[in-house]
Amino acid sequence: MQPEPLNVYGWIFMIGSLTFVWGLTIWCFAKVLSLPAPPPEEVKEFHSA
Amino acid sequence: MSKDTQQWATRFGVILAVSGSAVGLGNFLRFPGQAAANGGGAFIVPYICALLLLGIPIGWAEWTMGRWGGRKGFHSAPAIMGAMGRGKLFRYLGVIGVLIPLAVSFYYTYIEAWCLGYTYHYVTGGIDGVIAGAPIAEQTKASADFYATFTGRLENGVLTGGSYETFIFWALTFAVNIWLVFRGLSGGIEKFCQFAMPTMAVCALIVLVRVLTLGTPDPNLPDQNVLTGLGYMWNPNFEALANPQTWLAAAGQIFFSLSVGFGVIINYASYMKKKDDVVLSGLTASATNELFEVGFGGMITVTAAFVFLGLSGTIAAVQGGSFGLGFTTLPVVFAHMPFGNLIGAIWFFMLFLAAITSSISMYQPTLAFIQEALGCTRKAATTLLVAICVPASFLVMYYSKGGIFWSTIDDWVGTFLIFVLAMVQIICFAWLFGIERGWQEAHEGASIRIPGFYKIVMKYVAPGYLLIVFAAFCYSNLGDWIGSVTSEPLRQGAMLLILATIVFLCVLTYLGEKRWRAAGLDVDGERQDA
Repeated sequence: MQPEPLNVYGWIFMIGSLTFVWGLTIWCFAKVLSLPAPPPEEVKEFHSA
Repeated sequence: MSKDTQQWATRFGVILAVSGSAVGLGNFLRFPGQAAANGGGAFIVPYICALLLLGIPIGWAEWTMGRWGGRKGFHSAPAIMGAMGRGKLFRYLGVIGVLIPLAVSFYYTYIEAWCLGYTYHYVTGGIDGVIAGAPIAEQTKASADFYATFTGRLENGVLTGGSYETFIFWALTFAVNIWLVFRGLSGGIEKFCQFAMPTMAVCALIVLVRVLTLGTPDPNLPDQNVLTGLGYMWNPNFEALANPQTWLAAAGQIFFSLSVGFGVIINYASYMKKKDDVVLSGLTASATNELFEVGFGGMITVTAAFVFLGLSGTIAAVQGGSFGLGFTTLPVVFAHMPFGNLIGAIWFFMLFLAAITSSISMYQPTLAFIQEALGCTRKAATTLLVAICVPASFLVMYYSKGGIFWSTIDDWVGTFLIFVLAMVQIICFAWLFGIERGWQEAHEGASIRIPGFYKIVMKYVAPGYLLIVFAAFCYSNLGDWIGSVTSEPLRQGAMLLILATIVFLCVLTYLGEKRWRAAGLDVDGERQDA
């Protein structure tokens, strides 16, 4: 087996994969950041006896 | 009487904590090896399929189950799955959701201590015997010797009876873990993950930039350059797609990487509020894990190994498994690299952070379960947790020869039972709780909607996919595993430890059930959702 530099398909798979994971992560975090602050919720005490 | 009324302080808290739990050594060491050995770039095709059809949907189910259980006042897998599955069977199957993180923690903290120890050695001058400028064969032998000595692989008892260095790193690591978990969800785990996750990303970026700018370090070996290293990792071998082994390896990698079926997400999500978004949170945590795995793991490890060790050295490193690649090969690579000690220190510190954000997520579900089952304070529960983990981890460190003892726990609990728990969870969610009800529950407070076809994916495709992967996994491994347990006393000892832990957790579940019923909780999930 001869070592081969990154070929066209290699570039496509590498750039495609990186775009996918970076894009998805950035989109998710941007979406989370853009959400309005949740209203405060009263905490129930379930385990008191 | 104690109560667990903790909540995540911020929306990001739970996302970073779950991401931290998922991002571990496997992202940096296991993924690149699996990809390079199974089709290179082509591996990403079955990998993304498994992510979309297995990892993300089962993750959504687990997030939803956790938040639903939290509303009922439960934070442990036995209680939540008992309520969701309506009875004892799923309550006791839920014990697996505590057993996995607890039993894995017995050895995971020990491996985490290796990362801390290696960081210390790089900060103080490098790995003993791995001398820059020495022939690669000598460096590899020195690195392998150091690894074997440091991890106690040569002989039982050395780590607790003579070579105290690793033991001290373990004690330090364990103490930090317990301290963080004891400080609670928002004060300990959340705060730490808010520091650790960005720090890890910065460390990974530094190492990535260093690796990608290596060029051709030795002009006498022009084939050993960054582009050829990336080519070895990413050039697709399309023939691999016709090999079922590639698809199984991809599904296995996704599965173990995302922390689904591990018993952690269900506990973490139980501290969310009713209207907190589980759909976007689950997707964000999965995406973050993928960023570390594909974006960093897929670019750094194999490429760096190739640039300095060449094709044959890299193939040998990949065949040596994750730990061989991480703890034996990479020190040789760092010895050749300009600023190698600095990069080595950053790399192993990053691995340490990846490991500790995972290990705290292993202690937390057990702590919550003890508290919930016995009704004790967090302090008392932490004391009991320490009383369980210290002797168990001592056994792991004492019986360190060849890593047989801990790898048995890893095989049966950290691998086999993860499949079982994920299967139980997705059946519980999609079939017993009901996909329509589960769908509605998942979308409570959701800011994005799951595409409609995921109903079919969650009900049929994911369980079916999982069953095929599990059957193939059992076919390939179970015979050998059973054979080695019957013939190897150390493996039998590890199985006894697992059995003792199961019995202990079942007793806690029994006591907990009585307590939950006495407290008037909806133990069998018979009441209308609030």
